[in-house]
Amino acid sequence: MKQTTIRRLISLGMLGALVLLFSCMSSYYLNGDNLLEILRDASVAGIIGVGVTYVIITAGIDLSTGSCMALVGMTMANVYRYTLLPIWMMLLIGILVGLAAGLFNGLVVAKLHLPEFIATLATMGIFRALTYAIAIRDEGGVITSQAMTYSSFVKWGGAVGKIHYVSIAFVIVVILGQLILKKTRFGTNLYAVGANKKAAELSGINISKTQIIAYMVVGLCSAIGAIFTTARIQSTTALLGNGFEFDPIAAAVVGGVSLSGGYGDIVGTFIGALFMSALDNGVLKLQMNTAYQYVIKGAIIILVVMFDAWYNGRMEKLAVEKGRKEAVGS
Amino acid sequence: MNENVILEAKGICKSFSGVPVLHQVDFLVRKGEVHALMGENGAGKSTLIKILTGVYTKDSGSVFWEGKEAVINSYKDCQRLGMACIYQELSVIPPLTVAQNVFLGREPRKLGLIDHKKMNEMTRELIEKYDFPLEPTALVSNLGIGLRQLVEILKGLSCDSRLLIMDEPTASLSGKEAESLFSIIDTLRKKGVSIIYISHRLEEVYKLSDRLTVLRDGKNAAVLNHDEIEPRKVIETMIGKVMDESAGNGNEMRKNSNEVVLEVQNLSDETGCFHNICFKAHKGEILGLGGLIGAGRTELVRAIYGIDHYREGTIFLNGEKLYPSPKRSIRAGFGFVPEDRRGQGFIPLLSVNKNIALTNYDRIKKNGLAVSDKAELEMCREAIAQIDIRPADPEKQVGLMSGGNQQKVVLGKWLMRDLKVLIVDEPTAGIDVGAKGEIYGILEELAKNGVVVILVSSDLEELIRVSHRILVMRKGSIIREFDNGVVTQSMVLEAASGLMEKEVS
Amino acid sequence: MRGINISKFSKPVILAVFMLVLTVLRPSSFLTVGNLSNVLWSISVYGIMVCGTIFVFLIGGIDLSIGSLCGLCAVTVVKIIRYFEYSDTGVVLGILAALTVGILAGLIHGAIITRFRVPAFLITFATQIIFLGLSMILTNNKILSCLQPELFTDIGMKKIFSFPVPIYIMLLIALISWFILRKTALGRYVYAVGGNRPASRLSGISDTKIMILAYVFSGFTTAIGGVVLASMTQQCMATTGSGYETEVITAAVIGGVSLLGGEGTVSGALFGAILIGLLNNGLNLLSVPSTEHGLVKGIVIIIAVGFDALQHQEKFKNWLNQFKMKKTQEAA
Repeated sequence: MKQTTIRRLISLGMLGALVLLFSCMSSYYLNGDNLLEILRDASVAGIIGVGVTYVIITAGIDLSTGSCMALVGMTMANVYRYTLLPIWMMLLIGILVGLAAGLFNGLVVAKLHLPEFIATLATMGIFRALTYAIAIRDEGGVITSQAMTYSSFVKWGGAVGKIHYVSIAFVIVVILGQLILKKTRFGTNLYAVGANKKAAELSGINISKTQIIAYMVVGLCSAIGAIFTTARIQSTTALLGNGFEFDPIAAAVVGGVSLSGGYGDIVGTFIGALFMSALDNGVLKLQMNTAYQYVIKGAIIILVVMFDAWYNGRMEKLAVEKGRKEAVGS
Repeated sequence: MNENVILEAKGICKSFSGVPVLHQVDFLVRKGEVHALMGENGAGKSTLIKILTGVYTKDSGSVFWEGKEAVINSYKDCQRLGMACIYQELSVIPPLTVAQNVFLGREPRKLGLIDHKKMNEMTRELIEKYDFPLEPTALVSNLGIGLRQLVEILKGLSCDSRLLIMDEPTASLSGKEAESLFSIIDTLRKKGVSIIYISHRLEEVYKLSDRLTVLRDGKNAAVLNHDEIEPRKVIETMIGKVMDESAGNGNEMRKNSNEVVLEVQNLSDETGCFHNICFKAHKGEILGLGGLIGAGRTELVRAIYGIDHYREGTIFLNGEKLYPSPKRSIRAGFGFVPEDRRGQGFIPLLSVNKNIALTNYDRIKKNGLAVSDKAELEMCREAIAQIDIRPADPEKQVGLMSGGNQQKVVLGKWLMRDLKVLIVDEPTAGIDVGAKGEIYGILEELAKNGVVVILVSSDLEELIRVSHRILVMRKGSIIREFDNGVVTQSMVLEAASGLMEKEVS
Repeated sequence: MRGINISKFSKPVILAVFMLVLTVLRPSSFLTVGNLSNVLWSISVYGIMVCGTIFVFLIGGIDLSIGSLCGLCAVTVVKIIRYFEYSDTGVVLGILAALTVGILAGLIHGAIITRFRVPAFLITFATQIIFLGLSMILTNNKILSCLQPELFTDIGMKKIFSFPVPIYIMLLIALISWFILRKTALGRYVYAVGGNRPASRLSGISDTKIMILAYVFSGFTTAIGGVVLASMTQQCMATTGSGYETEVITAAVIGGVSLLGGEGTVSGALFGAILIGLLNNGLNLLSVPSTEHGLVKGIVIIIAVGFDALQHQEKFKNWLNQFKMKKTQEAA
């Protein structure tokens, strides 16, 4: 069986085992409403996870997504409060801010050659600080949360029937993301850049351009995530998305996207996002302290990363041995 | 101009910062021939190839492609003409399929999306045309090295390349993998594809090539036709001297009857890089290890030093069994100068002082926990004086020094110890002539003081000049020992290429 | 070469210029003993931490968990003191427990990173959230205050010769760290492993051991930082110390520590920490809210690391050219 198929089965198995475990422990867990809730709660992290997956496939990382969400949210709040622009303009501006943030990340990584995690750690601070700088304040200068209650905006936080808009968006983004990854040159280039930069260059692939676009996709996804989040809570604060950079990365890692680049896909991240959300939901249903979520999530990441390192190393070894044993063509 | 000629280079000259590397080199490849390009290390083969593929620009001379003068300024130009280079380090993308690799950057598209069906179909056609054992949809990560190389060849062919350049294509292949590569090359030749074949392995060249160009010291030494390709003649032209045993290019080998210091018994590793290696080294002996690149010499000495594990066998130092670990080896009196000087030899950011002291903190005086800076510096000054490191500045960053002096620093840290065995792997690669001589002097001095020096070298002149006794390795075993009489470069080369295999008993 | 180590001379100059600017801008409030002592006091926690994490940077690693580990250690010491009803025994046991937590965390980081060869930032990114979760569980998401005993509060607040104790602790840790790095064989091995791991292994250095030790020392100083922080604020909560990893990394890179490993000094890192303190202080005096300091720090990181990366590229290119020349000379 193919290595990637096995890895896919492992993440599916993890998801299945988790759902099974919580179903046994709580009677409120396994029912349609709750499963839809899990999908809804997976959506924002999952949407951003699609972008993050692109970046990780190029052997990069993005730690700034949470701050990027906050910046987009606060920009929209400013537009909402101080201008008379229609809602679609507000959303467009939010998306442009996300793209600009991604462009900035991409430039720092591709042109200044900073290590990705340092670059995005720095921009994480920068975006957050910018958010504070443009935060809505009351007369006394104290930062307040800005309510955004215009109905044509708030409806995006709602649902059609029982299915939330954000879940629909999530599924669409996943399908689009997978399509782009597998069916366009850009997608192929992502793999090439992540697996073998030199070879990619020899095949005429523009590495910086590929990297920059990947980071811009993350910015775009973060903006979409910010729109749905603010629409749902009908307001925004400077603390929006604080610590949220973890979940998309976790989703990608659980879904089998290799941090050394070149391996993984969006479907994996989709499964990973569901896993993370199912975990959060279960901890909640069991009325455990939410802090346990953090500990469990962190531990799972470490275990999955350790497993992948071990498994990939083994497979590599086997491939070499196989190559030595069976000679070509005979 | 002959109709049959695909590529012709005339009067190519190239020099780097005033030093000529290629001088009036002519090179002609016919359609559908396998043309071998040979020469010793540094004869200018790779420079010529880099000029043909647009990596370097030539100083003068001209290149003709099918009779028309061609301007090649980048690899793209070269691809456009119909040339493709199969790189030594594989440049395939493992997570992609065979078809995706073959058409990387040139994928057929329909409505902006990649047309996988068509791409697989095109790949299948190519595969069938050349009869490769590949599947278009197989993931490259699941293929062995040999098949990965075929993917790369296929990639070259897919651009309608009519000339493939293969640089040491068998370097990392197993015997069987190489065999099937040869049959592929044969098929390609029949389909009219020309191949420039660069290899150190003489027997491959004899077997495969239709014609052969030999370069020596950046000049054309000879162009041989198929029926002229005869081992002795090629070796003679490469070395540039007639094979005369009494001529000055040989050196007398001698047996050493001192006590045995190092004894290796039946050493084999896991991957088959070397097997059943047995030899003894005597006190004060410089033991040369000759052989072609990939013969397993580096792997063997690394295992003896204890950095890599071996599967079975035993190593004795002065009759005591040695367990593999560099730390233990160093304590027992080993020193090791690796092949990859910059990557493994020294710490570029640190000073000469710190680099020399690195292996010697067990010997440097300490005040309590603190290393005595004074003693450290004294040791460094001693090393600088002893082997004439230049500049004689203990605080100089080693990364900023010249290759020869860097190597002296690497050697220097071992000389400050009570050495019993020093292993040096390609000690003078990339080092200027003056420093070379000094390094030979150091090795000879060590031997005089009773140290066993094991010298791995691909530079035949050096191997013969410095060694007291030479072991030649081929495909992981020692196949020949020269321990008496005059030995010449051609004798070693013949042994290393397997032309003297009959003589092994 | 344009290599008279610019940063060596420029550090005091930058510092002086910086102080001059602040003095001119805020003459009455900046250049006072009280304010300067305050600056030192405010940087002491990450000053202490950077003296340990520099080991991790030197071996070419990174530790993103130090912020929340600092918090966890603070929570540990406070919890134990409260458990022992604010007795001196509790203080001693609490500090020992906090140090154990820090060392254990470092041991786990080092072991996983070296054994499985996984990226350090990811592992420490994951443990960051684990430590945060543990702190939340231990504190039950409440603020735990700890105003006594004196033995504990003295650590953060007592003044000796008009300077508070944390400054002395910082100097002591800096001294130890400087001694190890500058004076002992171990320190040399740290630079060697960071500068060229295969070469150090061939020189008989146990690179794995050195790397684990680096993470352990980083955990140790982070624990001390946590104890000092808890004592300074006389309270702790789950988010205590959060964001300190950015401060520490910024301090290190400003101070000339290369995140690529093998380059940097304790004095440099300490200089970086002081500069950050002055920066924070200056921005405060200029009434820039602390929430917006991240902008300046982020840009500083990008510039400092970007400069480092470009410089290394330059060095690499120089070397490559040199190497090519040599090869062709040999060929001739």
